[in-house]
Amino acid sequence: MVRFVRLRLGAFLGYSAAALSTLLAVGLWFSGSPAFAVGIFLVGCTSYYGTRRLMVDVDRANAQKFLLDQQLIQSQKLAAIGELSAGIAHEINNPLAIIGQEVEWMRHILQNTRHAEDQLEDMRDSCREITRQVERCRDITHRLLDFARKKEPLMQAVNINRLVEDMARLVEKEAVHKRIRILRDYSENIASVHTDPPMVRQVVLNLLINAMYAIGEDGCIAITTRTSENGAAEVVVRDTGCGIAQEDQGRIFDPFFTTKPQGKGTGLGLSICHGIVSKLGGSISVESEPGKGAVFTIRLPIRRFAGEG
Amino acid sequence: MRAVAEGRRGSTMEGLRVLVVDDEPDFLETIVKRFQRRNIDVVGVDNGKAALDLLEEQHFDVVILDVRMPGMDGLEVLKEIKKRRPLVEVIMLTGHASVESGMQGMQLGAFDYVIKPAAIDDLLEKVQQAHERKLLHEDRLRNSKLLQ
Repeated sequence: MVRFVRLRLGAFLGYSAAALSTLLAVGLWFSGSPAFAVGIFLVGCTSYYGTRRLMVDVDRANAQKFLLDQQLIQSQKLAAIGELSAGIAHEINNPLAIIGQEVEWMRHILQNTRHAEDQLEDMRDSCREITRQVERCRDITHRLLDFARKKEPLMQAVNINRLVEDMARLVEKEAVHKRIRILRDYSENIASVHTDPPMVRQVVLNLLINAMYAIGEDGCIAITTRTSENGAAEVVVRDTGCGIAQEDQGRIFDPFFTTKPQGKGTGLGLSICHGIVSKLGGSISVESEPGKGAVFTIRLPIRRFAGEG
Repeated sequence: MRAVAEGRRGSTMEGLRVLVVDDEPDFLETIVKRFQRRNIDVVGVDNGKAALDLLEEQHFDVVILDVRMPGMDGLEVLKEIKKRRPLVEVIMLTGHASVESGMQGMQLGAFDYVIKPAAIDDLLEKVQQAHERKLLHEDRLRNSKLLQ
């Protein structure tokens, strides 16, 4: 707050100096010293432009800080949820195992004793249902553990264009049936990237599958690779799908956040992607205009950074 | 660092043992022959159960594993391999892929997915990268043990 006041005060002084110089210049002009007047006026102009430039820079820096703060909050949130989910997953796994055993026991009893046939069918039905639900819980806990597990990346040199193309081909087979075209624009300038290949594959594949899901049928996925201004490798996945509602855009990397119908998605895919990309020293972001599609961008450092194993 | 990685890549063929698992005899035979021609120590089996048994008895670095097989399917075998031999790297082979199985495979720790029919050079390069990864992994474990 103090900084803010000081800054505004500085800007006020800068602008005031410019205004005063102009007034002084007008005075000098009419009192017969045009040379001085022009000089002072120029000083005033310099003061005005200097202050203005400074203010623009400060605003820009503030906007950047805001963005970084947001990313930091997101990372911390995810780390906290990661620990929490490890706890939950362990807790859920044990009862699941017991339920599974119970079902086995019920099946065993059902085989031996005589019951009315429709009763039996009912019991078998519920057994099947229990098994299905247990499977589902198990799947969730495994993914949660996966999310929380501190899998350290193993860095290898990899051709990112090839990696992306491999995943694109994998998705293309299914995309063709839904009349979804995949367009490629790979930058030839990207040399090999030092990263964890299977982890990046997982992220890229996840984004491509999401894009396909968002489109449904008839549309287009555009994949771009390029190097960014600050020397990172960027992979951009753009789709012509349903897009993401404005209010959801801040939450799509949160664990358990999903817009898919119940039972269709665990809401962990993108949060896992976020976790992986952060671990690799990069970042992931989204832009979307609802109804027109979404653009996901992954940024990865090309070279290993100091102090990393 | 790059020099080290490349130096290592040059030697990834030494001591490399590959296990190929596929129920299509033609494919299996071709791939084994072609790898042998390049002096790679390779063994082929036609089902998941046999692959797991062999992994218990012998040392392998990289497994090339078909997704669709009768009996134990590729994903089940992958899960089992990662449980018993977490350091072994697995490359999944897929004919008519479902992307869902691709995602599951990657989550279960597969190194890569290759679509059939695979160009032998592509496959070979992926095998080398997978092997390089295994060596890096072993290096790291050795270092962390030394530190303790």
